[in-house]
Amino acid sequence: MATKSNFKRALPVGRSQNPLASLRNTQLVDTKAVLPAELIATILDYLPVSDMLRFARTSKRMQEMVYDDTRWIRRLKSMGCWNEAEARQRFEEAMKKKLEAQRAKDTEQAKRTGVGTNGHANGTHGSGFDEYKASITLFDAGHEEEMLRKSVDRKTRSRASTIDDGFADTVLSSQSHPGPSRPRPMDTESALTVLSRVRSIRGMARQEYGKVYGALAPFYYDLARSRSHSDPILFRTYRDPEQQAQMLAQLRIFAKSDFTEGWNNREEKLETMIGIFENAVLHEFEQGYRDKDYDGKMKRYAHVLVTLNGGCAGLDSFIHNHPLMLEKEKLGDPINCLRHAMAGSISLAPSLEFFKGLATALNEEAAIIDRVFPPTVDVLTPFLERVAEDVITEYITVLFDEAHEQNTETYLKAVAGLFDQALQLAMSLKPTKGSKPDFKEAATRIIARCFESHIDLYLQEELDFFKSKAETEVEVWEKRLTDEEQSAETFFMSNVSRQAAKRDFLTSFKKVVMMPVNVLPTIGGSSASKPTPTPTLNGDALDVPSRTGTPLSGEGLPSPRPVEAPTTELAAKAAIMNARLEGIRSLFSIEVALDLIHKAKESLERAARFVRLGGQSGEEARELCENIFINLLQILGGRHIRAGFDRAVNHLSEYKPREVADHSTQGVAPLVAFLELVNVGDLIQQMVDVFYLQELVGPNLTDRDDFLSPACKEKKRFEQMLDERVAAGLNKGIDVLMDEVEFICGTTQLPTDFNPTGPLVDIGPSQTAKSIVEMVSSHTSMLVGSTDKNVLDVFNQEVGLRLFTALCKHLKRQRISVDGAIVLISDMNAYNAYIQTLRNKSLSQYFAALRELSQIYLIDPTHAKEIATIIADSDRYHGIFRAEEVYEYAERRADWYQIRGAVEKQMYGVGCLVM
Amino acid sequence: MAANAQPTDAQPKITLVSSDNQKILVDRDIAERSVLLKHMIQDFGGETPDQDIPIHNVNEVVLKKVIEWCEHHRADPPATAEDDSDNRKKSTDIEEWDQKFMQVDQEMLFEIILAANYLDIKPLLDVGCKTVANMIKGKSPDEIRKTFNITNDFTPEEEDQIRRENEWAEDR
Repeated sequence: MATKSNFKRALPVGRSQNPLASLRNTQLVDTKAVLPAELIATILDYLPVSDMLRFARTSKRMQEMVYDDTRWIRRLKSMGCWNEAEARQRFEEAMKKKLEAQRAKDTEQAKRTGVGTNGHANGTHGSGFDEYKASITLFDAGHEEEMLRKSVDRKTRSRASTIDDGFADTVLSSQSHPGPSRPRPMDTESALTVLSRVRSIRGMARQEYGKVYGALAPFYYDLARSRSHSDPILFRTYRDPEQQAQMLAQLRIFAKSDFTEGWNNREEKLETMIGIFENAVLHEFEQGYRDKDYDGKMKRYAHVLVTLNGGCAGLDSFIHNHPLMLEKEKLGDPINCLRHAMAGSISLAPSLEFFKGLATALNEEAAIIDRVFPPTVDVLTPFLERVAEDVITEYITVLFDEAHEQNTETYLKAVAGLFDQALQLAMSLKPTKGSKPDFKEAATRIIARCFESHIDLYLQEELDFFKSKAETEVEVWEKRLTDEEQSAETFFMSNVSRQAAKRDFLTSFKKVVMMPVNVLPTIGGSSASKPTPTPTLNGDALDVPSRTGTPLSGEGLPSPRPVEAPTTELAAKAAIMNARLEGIRSLFSIEVALDLIHKAKESLERAARFVRLGGQSGEEARELCENIFINLLQILGGRHIRAGFDRAVNHLSEYKPREVADHSTQGVAPLVAFLELVNVGDLIQQMVDVFYLQELVGPNLTDRDDFLSPACKEKKRFEQMLDERVAAGLNKGIDVLMDEVEFICGTTQLPTDFNPTGPLVDIGPSQTAKSIVEMVSSHTSMLVGSTDKNVLDVFNQEVGLRLFTALCKHLKRQRISVDGAIVLISDMNAYNAYIQTLRNKSLSQYFAALRELSQIYLIDPTHAKEIATIIADSDRYHGIFRAEEVYEYAERRADWYQIRGAVEKQMYGVGCLVM
Repeated sequence: MAANAQPTDAQPKITLVSSDNQKILVDRDIAERSVLLKHMIQDFGGETPDQDIPIHNVNEVVLKKVIEWCEHHRADPPATAEDDSDNRKKSTDIEEWDQKFMQVDQEMLFEIILAANYLDIKPLLDVGCKTVANMIKGKSPDEIRKTFNITNDFTPEEEDQIRRENEWAEDR
C-alpha cells in the first residue's frame, strides 16, 4: 500500500470548547497535492464504465476500489435487475448446502452450454490458456467457486485475492474478435434476453453487469451517436421488428444505469429512436387494422408494441380508431327514447337497443382482442373504459339532459332504467384472455362510473320529486275536501243509513287488513290465496269478482313480488273500499295513502338500484331510500292522517245527541266515522309496516334492529302518533257514546215499561235496552282487530263502566212495579249478556251485581222482610253496591211507600215506628 | 479577493487565516457555503465570530480560489436535502463558468478538490471530481498512473488478466 499511499485522509474535526481549536491543531501534513482514496472513489463515480475498468488496471488498490461490489449492485439496481431478497436467499442457500447447490449448478451449466447462450466474448482468465472454449461456468458465491476450481483443475492460474474476480469464469465465449465498435454477431440472439437473465448474486454484480453491458452498450452508444434512424447497428443487426423492439426496450432500461456525463443526451436520443420505431410499427399496425388483418399484421405488430413498451401506443391507436368510437351515432340516438314515447314519458326500448348493440359490438371486439393482442396485456379493460367514457357517458348525458328538461319524472325513470340496462350490459360482457379474473366487477365498476356524475342530481331530484308529488297529492285531496265541506257535513248524517253495508265492509276489510300480516310469514304459500268471503249486503257487484277472482297476495304493493299485478289489484280493492267508505273519505283517504305508498315504492325501487354501486354513491342512495320512507311517513302521517284524526275528534266533541234529530239508526254518526277511521288508520299503519319490511328491510336498505336508524325512528314516531290520535279519539268517543246512551235512556224509556198499567204483553227486554245494547256493541265491535288489544281492553272496560254508571243513573229515575220488574230483569240480562261478550271479568261482576239488584223489584210487597234481607246481603252484589245504595234502589219500587215501614223495621230493627 | 467582493452593508464579515498566515475577509454567507465553517459559526451560537478562523490545510492561493467559487455560487440554492440515494450518481454537465474556473494546472485542481473536501463544499467537490474524471477519460492506465502518482504493483500478466476480464467494457 505504501505505493499509492500518499493519499492522506482528512483529519476528523473534533469539537472542543473553542470551535477553532480543532482548526488550529490541524497540521499541514503534506504539501504535495494527492487525492485521498475516498475522493478517488468519488471520481470513479463520474467515470464511464470503460474508463473505470481501465483505471482498475493501474494498481491493486485501484482495482479493489473499482471492483467493489456495491458499485455494480447500484448499477444493477438502477436497472431494476437487482433483487435483494434473491441475493440473500442465494447467499444463504449457498452457505447451507454447498454440495447440493454445486450439483444443481453443474446441471444448469450444462443446460446453458447446450442452449448456447454465451455471454460476451471477453472476460477470460488472466492466464488465458485455452479457457476460452470452456464456455460458461457460473458461480453463486466464492465457496462454490473454490469447489469448482477443484473440479475444473485446468485452471491453474493464481487468482487475484479479490472475491469478485469470478467473472473470469462466468462469461466465456471463445473467438472473441476484438473488433472495435462492432457488436459480436454470434451473441445477437442471447443479447435479446440478457436483461431477463441477470441474477442477483453477491460478489458477482460486476460480472452480471458486465454481461448486460457487453450485450447492450455497443448498441446503446452506437445509437446515441447515430444521426439517422437507419444508421444504428441495432437495426442492421436485428431485422425482425420483434427483436428490434425487444432490444430497444432493453436499451431503455440499460440507459438508466448510465451515470456518466451526457447521459441525458443519450437517453433523449434513445427515446427519439424508440419514438421513431414506435411510430413505424404503429403505422404498420394501423394499416393492418384498416385491412382487418387481425391475425397477420395486427397481431404481429401488437406483439412488437407490447414488447417495446407494454403496447400503450398500440392500445391507444386500437381504441381510438375503433369503429365503435368513430361511428357511435350508429348505435342509436338518445333522443329516440323521448321521441318515441308519449310526451312526458320515456320509452326505454331504444336505449335497450343501444345497449344491446353495444354489448354485441363489445363482445365481438373481445374476440378480436384475443386474436390480436398477447394475453399478457389487458386490452379490454382500457377499451371498455374508453367506450364507457366516450359512448355510454355521452349517450346517457344527452338523454338525461334532454329528459331533465322535459320533466322530472321522465328524468328519474330514464336514470334508473338506463342504469339497469347498463349494468346488464356489464354483466353480458365476455372477458378476454388478457383480462384479470375480476373482470366482471371491473366492468360493472367502469360502467357504473359513467353514472356517478349523474347520481347526485338524481338522488336529489328523486327525493324532491317524491316529496312534491306526495304533497300535491295530499293538497289536492284537501282542496277537494274543502270544496265538499258543506256536503260532507250532511253526508255524515245521511250516510249513517248505510251502516249495515259499512259494517259488512269492515268485516271483509278487516280480513284484507289482517291478511298480509297473517300471510307474510308464509309467503309464497298458496294457502294464503283463499278468497275473502264477502257477504255483501247491498250486493256490490264490483268487489266480488275482484276479491274472489284474484288470489289475495297480501297487500299487493308490498308483496314480495314487485310486479304490477297485485298493485293494481290492490288499487282496485282500494277503489271499492273507498266507494264504500265514503263516510270517512272526508277525514282521510285510504286511496291517498295507497297512492303515496305507491309513489314511494316507485321512487325507492329506482333509487335502490344505485345502492349496488357501493362506495359513497351507494351509501348516498341508501340514505335516500331511508329518506323517501321518512318523507312518506311524515306526509302520510303528519299531514294526512293526523289532520283526519283531528277533524274526526273535533266532530266527536261537537256531537250533541240532543241536537240530532234523527235517531232512527243505531249508530252515533261521528263515532262510527271515527271508529272506522281507526280501522283505516290501522290499515294504513299495517300497510306501512309491510312496506317497510318488504322494501327497506328486505333488500337490506335499512336494519330493522338498528333503533338509531332514522327510518326506524320515524316509523316508531308514526305509529306512536297514530296510537295517540286513536287514544284521544276513543276518549272522546266514549263520552259521545255515553251521551248517546243517556239520550236513548232519557228519550225512549217509557214510564210504562217498568210500571205497566195493563197486563204484560210480552216478556223480554224493553226497546230501550235493545237499542242501547245494539248501539254500544256495534261500536265496540268495530274496534276489534283494528287497534291494539290493550287499547281495546281499556276502551271496553271504560265503555262498560260508563254504561254501568249510566244504567244506574237511569234506574234511579224509574219507578218499577213488580210486574215491570220482569221487563227490568230482562233488560239487565240483555246488558249482562252483552257485557259477557267483552270477556272482561271485573265488568261482568258489575253487571251481575246489577242483575241481582234488579231482583229486589220482583219481590212481592207482602214479603217486605225478604226485601230487607236482600238489601242487607252485600255478598249478593260482590261488594259493588253497599246496603245504603241498594236501599236507594229499593226506593224506586212503585209500592215503596207501602212496604217502606216493613222493610225498615226489618233492617234497623226497632225505632222506626215513630215514623 | 474577498476584499474585492462587494460586501453588502448588513453582511457581517469573517476573517479566515490561510496556512501561510494570510488573512482573508469574507462575507458570512459566502463562508457558509462551506459546511465546515457553517457548523463552526453555529457553534459560536449563531453570532458572527470576531476571532480569526484558521484554515491550516489550505494556503492563500487555493483559499482565494475557493472563495472565488463560493462568491460566484453564493446565490445557489442549498443542496437538496437527501439526494444521496442510489440515483444521485446521474452526473450533470459542468456549467460553463465552472469549466473555465477549473482550467488550472493539475496541482491546483487537486488542491481545490482537497480544500473543497476539507471545507465540505459539496458542489465544488463534485465539479472538481467531474473535471478530474473528464481528464481521465480515454487515458491509458499508464497515463492515469502518471496523473495520479500511482505506482504500478501489478505484474504484466496480472494487468493483462484484468484487461481481458473487462474486455466487455472496451470499445464502445
